[in-house]
Amino acid sequence: MPISFACAASHAPGITAWAEAAPPTQKERVYGAFGELRARLDASGAEVLILLTSEHWANFFLDHMGAFCVGRAETYTGPIEPWLKIERTQVRGDAALATEILETAYERGIEPSFAYELQFDHGTMVPLSLINPKMDLPVVPVLFNTLAVPQPTARRCLELGRVIGEIAARSPRRIGLIATGGLSHDPGERNHGVIDSGFDEKFLTAMAAGDGDRLGRYSRADFAAAGSGAFELLSWVALAGALGGRKGELVAYEAVKPWATGVGLMAFPAAA
Amino acid sequence: MSVYALQKLLRDVNRIPERREAYFKSPAAFAQGYDLTEREREVLLGFDVRALYDMGVHGLILRQFTILHKMSDPDYVKVLRGE
Repeated sequence: MPISFACAASHAPGITAWAEAAPPTQKERVYGAFGELRARLDASGAEVLILLTSEHWANFFLDHMGAFCVGRAETYTGPIEPWLKIERTQVRGDAALATEILETAYERGIEPSFAYELQFDHGTMVPLSLINPKMDLPVVPVLFNTLAVPQPTARRCLELGRVIGEIAARSPRRIGLIATGGLSHDPGERNHGVIDSGFDEKFLTAMAAGDGDRLGRYSRADFAAAGSGAFELLSWVALAGALGGRKGELVAYEAVKPWATGVGLMAFPAAA
Repeated sequence: MSVYALQKLLRDVNRIPERREAYFKSPAAFAQGYDLTEREREVLLGFDVRALYDMGVHGLILRQFTILHKMSDPDYVKVLRGE
């Protein structure tokens, strides 16, 4: 079945934790865009969500860091941050779909790690609470190492995304995909608060065009130049791989200084 | 790799409620449970954010730790940039 719903969205913790710090017009546009994605998800009839999201030290540390991790739990809990202003919630998992992702990836020569227990932090809970606030759909999280060097390459993320796209296409169920992270930002680092809107515009243009070749050529240096948090865009690249050239519609882009992030939201409607 | 233990401590405070409670109850006693150098211990107990950063603590670990200490975004940036 064609992928019924797909979107990509930033997940800066300030979106919920210090929402009012943003200029009102920017906050309204971002929240309006999340509302737009919510409406599209509701209309899609999606039965399960695959979340392409960032590891932020919530689950993994330097004692064992893999490139990708697929969650096989029956339930997840989050957020871990007591200050995020999102109520701690349980979210149902889908272990069978997670296993299918793993087995198919292994067949295609990609070996993500897996976990029967994962905690969700702002990287998952901010977009999930705004796009599916009812938390009524089961989820399969796919965590990307976007913080410890070396991060996976964009090319590899594109390949992993193609595996996910293949699974969604052959599934009898309606599968929705949410990629989250980015855009340019340098969270907690020296350039915290610096936003490279030029980088963001080029990246969003490639995503909107479904230009997998261009996205797969983004190098570690390219992401690093836009701030350490720009590596989170590897999940967007994977989404482009899953969607196989499907075009995106930019729902909103705002360089929100008080949230220290170039905030982008994009929808990828199925072809009419 | 001594900064390993320091980051491990900070991350535990960030993500495990019981550890967080123990740290805020007595940072000095809490720090004894980790293999820190004398300098790391001093910087931690002095809440010297700039020194923690310069020692190599990852920004996402450090920013979350400073949020628990009620440090605002603008103040955090000022400290890191030495303003």
